Amino acid sequence: MHTKGNLLFSLFLIGVAGYAAFSASHWSFKTGFFPLVVAIPLIILTLVHLVLEFFGGTEKASGPAVEAEFTTEVAPEVARRRVIETFSWIAGFIVLVFLLGFPVAVPLFMISYLTMQSRIGWLQSMILTAGAWGFFYYVFQRLLNLQFEAGMIQTWMGW
Amino acid sequence: MEAFIDGLFLVLQWKAFSLMMVGMGLGFVVGLLPGIGGAATLALMIPFVFKMSPVEAFAFLLGMHSVAATTGDITSILFGVPGEGLSAATVVDGYPMAKRGEAGRALGAALMSSLVGALVGALTLALAIPIVRPLVLTFGSPELFMLSIIGIACITSLSGLSLRAQLRGFATGLLGLLLSTIGQERQSGSLRFDMGLMYLWEGLDLVPVLVGIFAIPELVDLAVRGTSIAGDKPAANLSSGVMEGIKDTFRHFWLVFRCSAIGVFVGIMPGAGGGVAQWMAYAHAVQSAKDTKEREGFGKGDVRGVLGPGAANNSKEGGDLIPTIAFGVPGSGAMAILLGAFMIMGLVPGPDMLTKHLTVTYSMVWTLAIANIITVLLSLAVLNHLAKLTNIRGGLIIPFVLLLVFVGSYTANNHIADLIVTFCFGLLGYIMVRLGWPRPPLVLGFVLGKLVETYLFISVSRYGFSWLSQPLVLLLIAVMVVVVVYPFVREKPAWAGGGD
Repeated sequence: MHTKGNLLFSLFLIGVAGYAAFSASHWSFKTGFFPLVVAIPLIILTLVHLVLEFFGGTEKASGPAVEAEFTTEVAPEVARRRVIETFSWIAGFIVLVFLLGFPVAVPLFMISYLTMQSRIGWLQSMILTAGAWGFFYYVFQRLLNLQFEAGMIQTWMGW
Repeated sequence: MEAFIDGLFLVLQWKAFSLMMVGMGLGFVVGLLPGIGGAATLALMIPFVFKMSPVEAFAFLLGMHSVAATTGDITSILFGVPGEGLSAATVVDGYPMAKRGEAGRALGAALMSSLVGALVGALTLALAIPIVRPLVLTFGSPELFMLSIIGIACITSLSGLSLRAQLRGFATGLLGLLLSTIGQERQSGSLRFDMGLMYLWEGLDLVPVLVGIFAIPELVDLAVRGTSIAGDKPAANLSSGVMEGIKDTFRHFWLVFRCSAIGVFVGIMPGAGGGVAQWMAYAHAVQSAKDTKEREGFGKGDVRGVLGPGAANNSKEGGDLIPTIAFGVPGSGAMAILLGAFMIMGLVPGPDMLTKHLTVTYSMVWTLAIANIITVLLSLAVLNHLAKLTNIRGGLIIPFVLLLVFVGSYTANNHIADLIVTFCFGLLGYIMVRLGWPRPPLVLGFVLGKLVETYLFISVSRYGFSWLSQPLVLLLIAVMVVVVVYPFVREKPAWAGGGD
């Protein structure tokens, strides 16, 4: 699984770097010099990694790497489903913000997530949503005076 | 000495002191909110200083700025969301500590090391102004370029001790550098990789990239676990570690001091910024581990991984102020904004600040010290309660944190694309962690990319390739090689028999 994932990720990196190098080779020296200096070694290093991954045997002693580790205590099928669910919720929130703008999207997202995903009662969900919206309104809009664009629906409706 | 004491009394005057407290309150809130950096808040507050005296204005602005740097660590530790761009390195070990039920200890360590760092930075500022000029002038573009590369090499060396792990580290570092080239090229104004989107003309903003790549994978993992951040650890244990964290600072005092020195040094160097200081300090903390066994704890919740970045984050403020005050050369974006405040106050950075306005200069030193002492003392009083947040069910925490993440990202450009960038980098971060590709080199490459390009371009334009043979550059190349090779040499028995 890791090897297949690594193959795809390496190909992705090679693709990105290849596109960058190809584009940069058509630009002036000033514009293209740095992307070329970076993209070419990136292609070479990733290719070497790819070769080692497939022909270098198992990576026996990578030593301690300083990175986060995800939980392994949840069954892979359940984990996969939850990952897709969470990314879907995040994407849904972005779509809501796009369509309705932050001030409307925030309470809608909160109440939907708390009732449907977290499965907590309506009363508790509404109290928490009101708290979140109050925090959003007073801190971001009133105190910090941040400007939030209206959503596409309000713009289309001319509100 | 008289000016030094006078500077203290100026800050302690009721009006200056009150304004400093107001600034600290604002800085505390801003530091907790992901993405809204101290620099942005400084810019927002500049219009309010017109009617203030110079001492009052700097007490207000510096009080706010230095506190934002301190409290940014709190969300990094509790939720894995960098409160400020600078606090990203604290996530790496701080959040795993919270997951292990040691949020209190991590917070105590972060705050106390921040205080030590701030005091070291303030002291250095007080002592260094007259003598720092030659150091800064010694470093030209070639040396600054090499310094940036050393920063990336430091982080890459943490990717693991096999050839493949190192390759992954370097590759992601290069990917970070490549991502920084998106947008308008600074020398010629030509557009690069903009894909016809006006949003990309200014390049990718740091906040959506950083928040996406660090916060979203952690939130997804929290959703997968289906528990609270601290898992099944009992609530009583969460808050008991604050004193332990404070003690940790003094147990590893020499490390905290060294990391503070790194912060000051990076702060003095123009343009390098606090993110670099934090990551370099983090790398130093990891490399200080005596053996593989000790090193294995980093990334999984070693308190030294919190102490190093915490100290560097705040000591950097003092270092940052040195070139700003002494030569009018701002070391970071925030200092460039502060320079605007100098102009508003009718002060000219340079020799005047060391003679005619020396008391104002020393009042800044005192502001840095006093604001941090008060913040740490006040924060310690509420840390126990903050740590308990890690025991709340994940399902309740996730939507709130997502809200903070996306509002914070949105403030980068007030554009829906900021949210899409956050999502994409969240996905990228998740895949990278799953497959064992390190994220820190990518982030540091991205942070440093524009600087590296500028320094490289100036070096090549001015010296051709002869800059590579300059003595100081050669010395820095040697340092870089040592940084990369040293962990291999030290751990030879562990990797010699490895598959690579």
